[in-house]
Amino acid sequence: MKKLLAILIASLSLNVHAATGQANSSAVIMFLLFIAGTMGITYWAAKKTRTASDFYTAGGGLTGFQNGLAIAGDYLSAASFLGIAGMVYVRGFDGLIYAIGFLFGWPIVMFLIAERLRNLGRYNFADVTSFRLQQKPMRVLAASASLIVITLYLIAQMVGAGKLIELLFGIKYHFAVVIVGVLMMVYVVFGGMTATTWVQIIKAVLMLFGATLMVILVLATFNFNPDAMLAEAVKVHPQGLALMAPGVSLSGNPLNAVSLGLALIFGTAGLPHILMRFFTVANAKEARRSVIYATSFIGYFYILTFIIGFGAIALLVRNPELFNTAPDGSFNILTNLIGGTNMVAVHLANAVGGSLLLGFLAAVTFATIVAVVAGLALAGAAAISHDLYSNVIAKEPVTEQQQLRLSRIATAVLGVLAILLGILFETQNVAFMVGLAFAIAASSNFPVLLMSISWRKCTTRGATIGGFIGLIVASLWVIFSSTVWVDVFGFAESITPFPNPGIISIPLAFVSIWFFSITDKSAQGKKEQEAFDALTVRSQTGLGVSSASLH
Amino acid sequence: MNKSNISAEVLKKISRHPQYKQLLKKRSLIGNCFFVFTLIVYNAFILFLGFAPEAAGKPLFVGATLSIGIFLGVLICLLAIILVVLYVTVSNRVFDPLINNIVKDVL
Repeated sequence: MKKLLAILIASLSLNVHAATGQANSSAVIMFLLFIAGTMGITYWAAKKTRTASDFYTAGGGLTGFQNGLAIAGDYLSAASFLGIAGMVYVRGFDGLIYAIGFLFGWPIVMFLIAERLRNLGRYNFADVTSFRLQQKPMRVLAASASLIVITLYLIAQMVGAGKLIELLFGIKYHFAVVIVGVLMMVYVVFGGMTATTWVQIIKAVLMLFGATLMVILVLATFNFNPDAMLAEAVKVHPQGLALMAPGVSLSGNPLNAVSLGLALIFGTAGLPHILMRFFTVANAKEARRSVIYATSFIGYFYILTFIIGFGAIALLVRNPELFNTAPDGSFNILTNLIGGTNMVAVHLANAVGGSLLLGFLAAVTFATIVAVVAGLALAGAAAISHDLYSNVIAKEPVTEQQQLRLSRIATAVLGVLAILLGILFETQNVAFMVGLAFAIAASSNFPVLLMSISWRKCTTRGATIGGFIGLIVASLWVIFSSTVWVDVFGFAESITPFPNPGIISIPLAFVSIWFFSITDKSAQGKKEQEAFDALTVRSQTGLGVSSASLH
Repeated sequence: MNKSNISAEVLKKISRHPQYKQLLKKRSLIGNCFFVFTLIVYNAFILFLGFAPEAAGKPLFVGATLSIGIFLGVLICLLAIILVVLYVTVSNRVFDPLINNIVKDVL
C-alpha cells in the first residue's frame, strides 16, 4: 500500500498540469488526504470483517440515515453528476428529463419492494427471488442479469473515470484506470461492505457539501435571483430561449421518451448494487427510513445540478481561458470547452471558487468513481460466490469462511476485469451503457422480483422464462438500435424503430412470467404457489426474518 | 438459506388473525394507490413534454425566463420526495401498529 502511494505521489507531482492548464496542487493534496482517510477506514473495517454477513452487509447494523447517505452515494455516480450538469449545459431542459427519471425510481422502490425485500432476504436480492421458488434456476437468472448489469455499469464508470482523471490530474488514461481498479480492490477485499459503505457515506457528504457551496457561490453572482441567472444563460447560449423548452430528445419521438422513462423508473428497483444496500439495515422500518433519506438527498442534489448546469452556461463564458480560443479570441461555448462538456461542473468550481474549490471537486469526483466501482464489485462478488458458487455449483454446503474467501477472490477478479475492460473500451462510445444497464435491470430483475413476492401463482418456470426473455429482448433491442448498430458498429440504418426497449421489454417480461406460470401444471409449481402464504406472512410482518446482524 | 423459520402453527395463527387480513388489505390498497398515482404523474409529465413542447417552453409569468416546463420539473422532483415521506408516515401510523398487535398475539 505504501508503494502504491509513493507511485501515486511521484506521478502526480510530475503531472501538475491539470485540466485547466494550470498547476493544481490543492487537487492533489485533497486527493491524497482522501486516499489516506479511506485507507484508515479500510484498516479499521478489515478488523471487523469476519463473517460473510460482515462482508456483504456490514453486519447489518447501519441506521436508516447512514444507509440513506450510502444509497445516495451509490446513486450519484460521477456520470450522473457531471453527465447531467453537462447535459443541462448543452441542451438545457433535456438534462432534467434524465434526472427526474432517475429520481422517480425511488418512490417505486419504496411502494413496491423496499420493506418486503428487507424482510425476505439476507445478502442480496436473489435470496428473495429464490425464497419460495427453486434455488438453482432463480440464482442463475439473478446472477446472469446482475453480472451483465454490473459489467455494463463498470465499463461506463471505468471509461468515464479514466478520461476524467486524465483531465483533472494529468495522469495517463491507462494509469488512471489502474489506480481506480486497485483502490477499489483494496477497499472491498479487505474492508468488505463496511469499508465500502463508509467510503460511500463520506463521499456523499463531501459531494453534497461541495455542490451546495458551488450553488451558493453561483447564485450569489446573480444576487440570489435564479431568474436573472437563467436570463443570462439564455442570452449567451447559441440555442437561446429554446433552452427552456424540451428539445429533440423528447419531442422527436414521444414513444421513445416514455420507453426511456419506464426503464429509468423501474430500473432502480432492479439494480443489484442498490438493492444490496437494503440488507445493511436491521429491519424493514430502517429500510423505509433509508429510502426517505436517499430520495431527499438525491432529489436535492439533482436540483443543485440543474442550477450548476445553467449557472455554467451563464458564467463560464466570462472566462475565455477555459476555452480553446481561435486566433481572433472567439470561441464556441459548446464545442471549444477544454476537456469537453462533461467538465462543466469542474470548470464552474474553478470559476466561482478558485483553485481550492476546483481541487476539492476534483478529489470528490475521483472518490465518487472509486466508491461506485467498489459497490458494483461487491454486488458482483455476491452474485458469483453467494449465488453461483454456494447455491448452484458447490455439491456440499459451503462454510462462511469458504464463502468469504471466495468473495474476496471474486472481487479481485472483478477488479482486474474492470481494469481490462476500461482499457479495451477506451476509445468506444460508452454513453449508452448505463441506459442499457437500467433497461436490463427493469426488464429482468425487477419483474422477477416483483412477481415472486406479490403474485401467488408465480412459479419457477414462469419467472425463469420471463426473466430471460426480458433480459434477451432488452439486450438485442439496444444492440440493433441506432445507439449501437449505427453509432458503434457503423451500419447505415437501425433495425429497431427507437433506441429504448423499455416499453416493449418490460411488459413482455411480465406477460411471459404470467403466461408460463399459469400454464405450469407441475407438482413443483403447485408447491411453490402454496408456499406463497408463508412468504407473505414473513414479508408483511417481518416474523422469522433472518437478521443480518449477528452481534 | 433456510426457507422460513416460522413454525406451521404460528403461520396458521397469523393467517387467521383478523388484523393480519386487515394489514394485507390496507397495505395493498394504499401501496397500489401511491404506485399508480406516481406512474400517472410521471408519465403525464413526460407525455406533456413530448406532445406539447411549446407549451412547456412558455415563460412561467410575463417577463420571466423560467419556463413552465422547468418549474414543473423542479416541482415534480419535490413531489417525489413528498410522496415517499407521506408513504412512510402512513406506514408508521397504520401498518406498524397492526404488525405489532399481530406479533404480540401470536408469540
